[in-house]
Amino acid sequence: MTMDRPSQRSSGTRAIPSGNVDGDGPVIAVLVDQWESKSEEGWATRQVAGALACSAHVHVITPQGTVPSERVDSVFTVHETATPSSPTAAIRRELLIEAISDTGGSATGRLLPEYGRLLDRDLLDCWSASSDILAGLRPDIVVIAGHQHLGALDAVDRVAPDVPIVLLALGSDLNSLAFPHFDRIFDRSQAVLAITETERLSIVEHHGGADRVHRIGAPLAANPSALNEPNTWVGTTDYVFVISSTKTHADEEAVALARLLRLRFPENPVGISATDAFSVWHQGRVGQGWPVERSSDLARLMAWARVVVDLRPGPLFGRRCVDSLLYGTPIIVPGNSRAREHAELGRGGLWFDTPGELVWCVEAMLDPDVRATFSAQGKAYAEDAFGSTDRFIERVLVATGKASSDGGEIGGGGICTGGATSLPITA
Amino acid sequence: MGQPGLDPKEFLEHLKAEHQVLRWEPLPPDQFNPSSGGEQSRSGSSLDYLHKHWALPDSFNPADAGGGPKGRLVGLFGRLTYRVLGRYLHEERDLLGHVVRISEALERRCDALTLRVQEMNLDIVRRQVAEAENQALLAAWLHAESPRTTSGVASISSTIAQRNKAAADAEAAAAAKEDSDRSR
Repeated sequence: MTMDRPSQRSSGTRAIPSGNVDGDGPVIAVLVDQWESKSEEGWATRQVAGALACSAHVHVITPQGTVPSERVDSVFTVHETATPSSPTAAIRRELLIEAISDTGGSATGRLLPEYGRLLDRDLLDCWSASSDILAGLRPDIVVIAGHQHLGALDAVDRVAPDVPIVLLALGSDLNSLAFPHFDRIFDRSQAVLAITETERLSIVEHHGGADRVHRIGAPLAANPSALNEPNTWVGTTDYVFVISSTKTHADEEAVALARLLRLRFPENPVGISATDAFSVWHQGRVGQGWPVERSSDLARLMAWARVVVDLRPGPLFGRRCVDSLLYGTPIIVPGNSRAREHAELGRGGLWFDTPGELVWCVEAMLDPDVRATFSAQGKAYAEDAFGSTDRFIERVLVATGKASSDGGEIGGGGICTGGATSLPITA
Repeated sequence: MGQPGLDPKEFLEHLKAEHQVLRWEPLPPDQFNPSSGGEQSRSGSSLDYLHKHWALPDSFNPADAGGGPKGRLVGLFGRLTYRVLGRYLHEERDLLGHVVRISEALERRCDALTLRVQEMNLDIVRRQVAEAENQALLAAWLHAESPRTTSGVASISSTIAQRNKAAADAEAAAAAKEDSDRSR
């Protein structure tokens, strides 16, 4: 079977060098639904791809785009097949997974065929064009970002059934990780990468293979400029910083919890950050409001707060919470969120299941001694687990290298080992 | 300096145990003492006196002069005085009349304001009672599970559960029929 090389078919800005790989060194293909950095999943995928780029040529293949194209993005070559899936299809899949999991239907390992078809509807064909690109690239390893992308798995197996696959699970939803419908992508993968320990344990519990499931964390660092001076919006450093991540006037539980905190602690300034604005409440009155335009504003608020209450932490690993711990600010998070791991395993804060517990946690954290202890513990944990880019690269390369033991080049002494100080990534 | 080390799990358990006993109760409303009616008639006797005595005499009474030459002289002087000062005395009487009427109006206004203050005080107390009740509701809510907002998903779940059950029933019925056919 002959296939066109991507560079021949597309109108990219850079031609791929001829041959099996891009010049010397291994080639890694990363199959990703959305190549972006806004969501935690997209950001984590980009970090992993960046780590791999230290020792291999990384080609990103995505169904995104309006016309098929090939372009250079930093150190990556991005191939857009312009066959995006319908946005409603992904929403339907999420809803079905949650609904079936709620009924206990997934626990038995049996799923009615009609539900299986419904889960995959409009989500498989979008990857078909990726097979052609993979055939042209002939990668040494394929990384699939997202355990739900069975279409990506099919695209690989159509043209390269023997190529090692590394799965970046992106298991924001534990129900989905445990869903038997996705078993075959875990079974086919030589290595599975998890960002957090909770995610890793869940994968091992439902799919086994503890030796091939690796917790890789993420490369984060406290921005030193945020620690140089406090954000003057609050006017003092002795405040509770509540992140609601929702519209100020939305009728949501997070808004109600933020309101509860400002009512309960009138003596302490309470800064509430919504998606659209930041406001400070003190003595029962609201001060001036500010539009939140730069992430550095939030970083400075976080760095100087007494405690950060993140009511809607990121679903994959609660990135804001790790940032907060790196600044030495303890966290309080919902008990059913992924960020609980940072509070519990990292001993960097507390978590709550009811509004009453939230109030008690904030009350406890206002004690300077309690705050200082959690601050020290959390900072040590965050620096150890997330604070080093070198260690992150090493973890990714070691995990990927194990998957490609045949080749033995990935992670076995590549460009980055022992020397890289930063990832060639724009977040 | 912080404490030697804190296990958040143990810390939370301790925190929950500590809060098992409800240490909270709504603030009781202020004691409301309705004022006595006496406040409205504190100056009643003085006002009565004003009403009775504001009209001063506007001419000389000859009986006040007495008899004899001395009396005639006093009468003459009295009439002369009233004739000379008559206009001033009339105006003074009008002035006193107005002062009395204004005093009465002021008293009525004071009474009305007193009543209004009492009503407002009552309103504030009622509001305070309502706030306390609301706080009690909040306390109850704090001790309850946080509400979930997945009614949509719950509905889908229920539909799927019904469909699963129907499929299982149909499967069982088919198996039973197959068994019975085989036994025949």
